[in-house]
Amino acid sequence: MRTRPTFAWLRATLECGGFLALALAAGAAPSDEGVAARRAALGVAGAFQNDGFKLRDGVWCRRLEPGASHLIQVNLYAGNQYWFTLGAAGGAKKVAVSVFAENGEPIECEPYAEGATAAAGFSPGISGPYYVKVELTEGAAATLCLVYSYK
Amino acid sequence: MSWNFRPFATGLAILYLCGSAGGGAATLSPEQLAAATVTDDISIPTPGELMAALNKQGKLDWAAKYRAPIATNYTSRAQMALNLGGLIADGYIAVEAEDAQQVKNLGKDILDLAKGLGVPKEIRDRGKSLTEKGEEKQWDVLREELEATQNEVKLSMENNKDQALVDLVTVGGWIRGTQVVSAVIAEHYTEGGASLLRQPAIVAFLRARLEKLPDKLRSDKTVKITRLKLVEIEQLVAFPAGKTVGAEDVKKLSALAAELVGAISRKELK
Repeated sequence: MRTRPTFAWLRATLECGGFLALALAAGAAPSDEGVAARRAALGVAGAFQNDGFKLRDGVWCRRLEPGASHLIQVNLYAGNQYWFTLGAAGGAKKVAVSVFAENGEPIECEPYAEGATAAAGFSPGISGPYYVKVELTEGAAATLCLVYSYK
Repeated sequence: MSWNFRPFATGLAILYLCGSAGGGAATLSPEQLAAATVTDDISIPTPGELMAALNKQGKLDWAAKYRAPIATNYTSRAQMALNLGGLIADGYIAVEAEDAQQVKNLGKDILDLAKGLGVPKEIRDRGKSLTEKGEEKQWDVLREELEATQNEVKLSMENNKDQALVDLVTVGGWIRGTQVVSAVIAEHYTEGGASLLRQPAIVAFLRARLEKLPDKLRSDKTVKITRLKLVEIEQLVAFPAGKTVGAEDVKKLSALAAELVGAISRKELK
């Protein structure tokens, strides 16, 4: 089984308090909830790593109200495969992640959703910007964290 | 879908529109798209992602894309930051070439430049793992280590309220990655390969960041030439979706990027 340095990096960051700055930089609440949300996202993304996907170290985190959504731009390369993985903590019961092309049209993806985690996988046919929409669809206000993997 | 992946046991076989996940598959408006968050952390791909896509075009000789060692003792902090990003991109090239010695050499240079930029010792110590993982030939791990090291260095800069340096590290890495990849594509031109060079949003984001730099940094000689050259580079990588860039334009892009990388790494820029 291969080692997962990103998780070691997360642990080290948490231990030295670096998550505070990371969370502030990303606009997230620097709280246990943020840490738990990221951990939830990484837990799901770990399954993709086992299938050869490389996990990006970067993360986006933000606290959302119930029913609220947020768009994040990503830049992807044709031929690569991607999984966008969302984790939430706190009062979140269900979350959703979806992907849109640069013209705003929804993209057909492979979905995953379980409780306060969700993921969307696809392989872009065109290189360029795409938009990942994250939503808190059920539950109370919560911090959501998005990570992504590629191969 | 052209790929087959089922990480979970049940309930995943049915494809659907991602856009319908929230209950409606409505097309997003230009206003919604314009309001999207763009962050260095997640919106800007690593050189490793671009190289992964390019590797699907066929086996490539990444070692042929090494460059001569660059200085690590510039007097301009802006120039140091740009070159730090370039060296990290070099690290990805060495990993693709699976060259432990080159990873070791670059790891040392990265740490030297980081030291010059005031990155604390405890963070620089972490960079030593690059050398260790290289010696152990853990290439996949090394790709992740490179990004994690870069993020840790950037975080340290943010903590020191040096966001401008963070932006310059990102710009330097993207330029060096673009130089190498465009050179590879120019040598083995295919439309599929050339389509990977389409990166309009990235270059627009980087240019915007450079324009927001404090006056002192924006007028740095290296930053000035970078700002100028990025305008020309943008014209070559911002082609329409569904189109590709011709062989001559790929060569032009490769030459432009090489010229800029050379200027950024030159010790005494006139």
